Amino acid sequence: MENSPEDYRIQSFDLQTQMLLKTALKDPGSVNLEKVSNIIVDQSLKDQVFSKEAGRICYTIAQAEAKQNNGSVFRRNLLNRLQQEFKEREGTRARSLQEWVCFVTFICNIYDYLKVNNMPMVALVHPVYDCLMRLAQPDALTNEEEVDCLVLQLHRIGEQLEKSSSQRMDELFYLLRDGFLLQEGLTSMARLLLLEILEFRAGGWVLSGTAHRYYYSEIAD
Amino acid sequence: MSHLARSRRCDGNNTELEDRSHGPSRWSQCRKRGIDGSLRSKRSDDDGEDDTNNRNASFTTPESRAPVSRIARQADWGSQVEDDEMRRDVQRDMQRYRRRILAAEVTQRERKTSSGSSGSCDSKEGDNVEMDEAVLLRRQKQINYGKNTLAYDRYVKEVPKHMRQPGVHPKTPNKFRKYSRRSWDQQIKLWKVKLHAWDPPTEEGGEVNASHVEELRFEDVMDIEIDFPVLSDTGNGTCSFSTHNLSVEDDDCAGTPVKMQKTETTAELDML
Repeated sequence: MENSPEDYRIQSFDLQTQMLLKTALKDPGSVNLEKVSNIIVDQSLKDQVFSKEAGRICYTIAQAEAKQNNGSVFRRNLLNRLQQEFKEREGTRARSLQEWVCFVTFICNIYDYLKVNNMPMVALVHPVYDCLMRLAQPDALTNEEEVDCLVLQLHRIGEQLEKSSSQRMDELFYLLRDGFLLQEGLTSMARLLLLEILEFRAGGWVLSGTAHRYYYSEIAD
Repeated sequence: MSHLARSRRCDGNNTELEDRSHGPSRWSQCRKRGIDGSLRSKRSDDDGEDDTNNRNASFTTPESRAPVSRIARQADWGSQVEDDEMRRDVQRDMQRYRRRILAAEVTQRERKTSSGSSGSCDSKEGDNVEMDEAVLLRRQKQINYGKNTLAYDRYVKEVPKHMRQPGVHPKTPNKFRKYSRRSWDQQIKLWKVKLHAWDPPTEEGGEVNASHVEELRFEDVMDIEIDFPVLSDTGNGTCSFSTHNLSVEDDDCAGTPVKMQKTETTAELDML
């Protein structure tokens, strides 16, 4: 248990913060959970690797808090901070593509991990879709970093999201098909990623064996 | 009725296939508002309006509902998620409560034939159920405020469930019964007053007091006057009498809580 994913991710913080996070995981009532949530969001917006895994830590802290005193201070602060960032997303994207991509990765990861009564949080469904729709706009599709992010999120949470709102998933995939088919200026890598995600959803969020071989084993041969 | 049908659908609609074939998914049926408050125009026929109509037609003293629930829905994501969490809990409680009533009605009928006792108050139980989600949610919130106190923790610890006596010990008001707003608020108030008897001893320090002060500010500013005489009694039995006299509207059902407890236990046994 010494090398749990939490511990591994926590390594990227300074020592004092590491202590704070570890305490938050063990005894959430004894720390300032608003501060903890802000630390996690701040780090997620800076660190792409962390943003992919931060949901797990958040889930663990939220669970620990609920178990300890039936509280939801951490979750509340986390979500409200996330909402703040969501409102400012267009400015973030203009300022720093990397931060924008980190934000989308993070919010999707939170959606993925942080459940309420074992269900995804309804409040996040439309914001997550809004982010993904933004990544599917023409100006974002010409940007490989954003396509990569979009496709990764859909691989992770696409199936779940579709259950929450299939209508919006359809809208998103209209954009993706149009992008793949009609848009000028896409790199071949971007087209490859789009084609793969189109096949992935068409196969019921699974890649068929042959499709998998096509996309993934070429290089090894 | 439409309300019931809808909540059933939300709960039952669990299989993946069904979810996919239905357009806007189960979530939208449980929700009344989109994230920015603007996304729901297409589905807005789904909830609010027809509920209000049903309600006004079916009974006379509706609790005012719109402002409270609207504000709650417009709130931040944190509150939205908490509301959703509570809504799902309330829906689950509701199913459980209705099952209990059904079971209780069956035993009631059996008893009637054997002993001939009239169950006029209980037999109406089925019609007497508050089904308005907005009302239930608001009531649940009030109950949560009361339960989220040190006094309640101490009470639960010190008086195990089977030792509690109706009229003597505080009993959480039954959120599923139809009451006027005034009656309900009064019941909550009296319940909290009774709970104050289990407040931690004052020597424990300012921290404890602070939490209560805060609660008073939010919820029951009116309580302060009632609070003092009861607290000075501190007795178990004595306060119950004084408080019961205060609850005018509670009187017509004064007998039922006792009965309810009985039917509940039989119902629980039945469910096992």
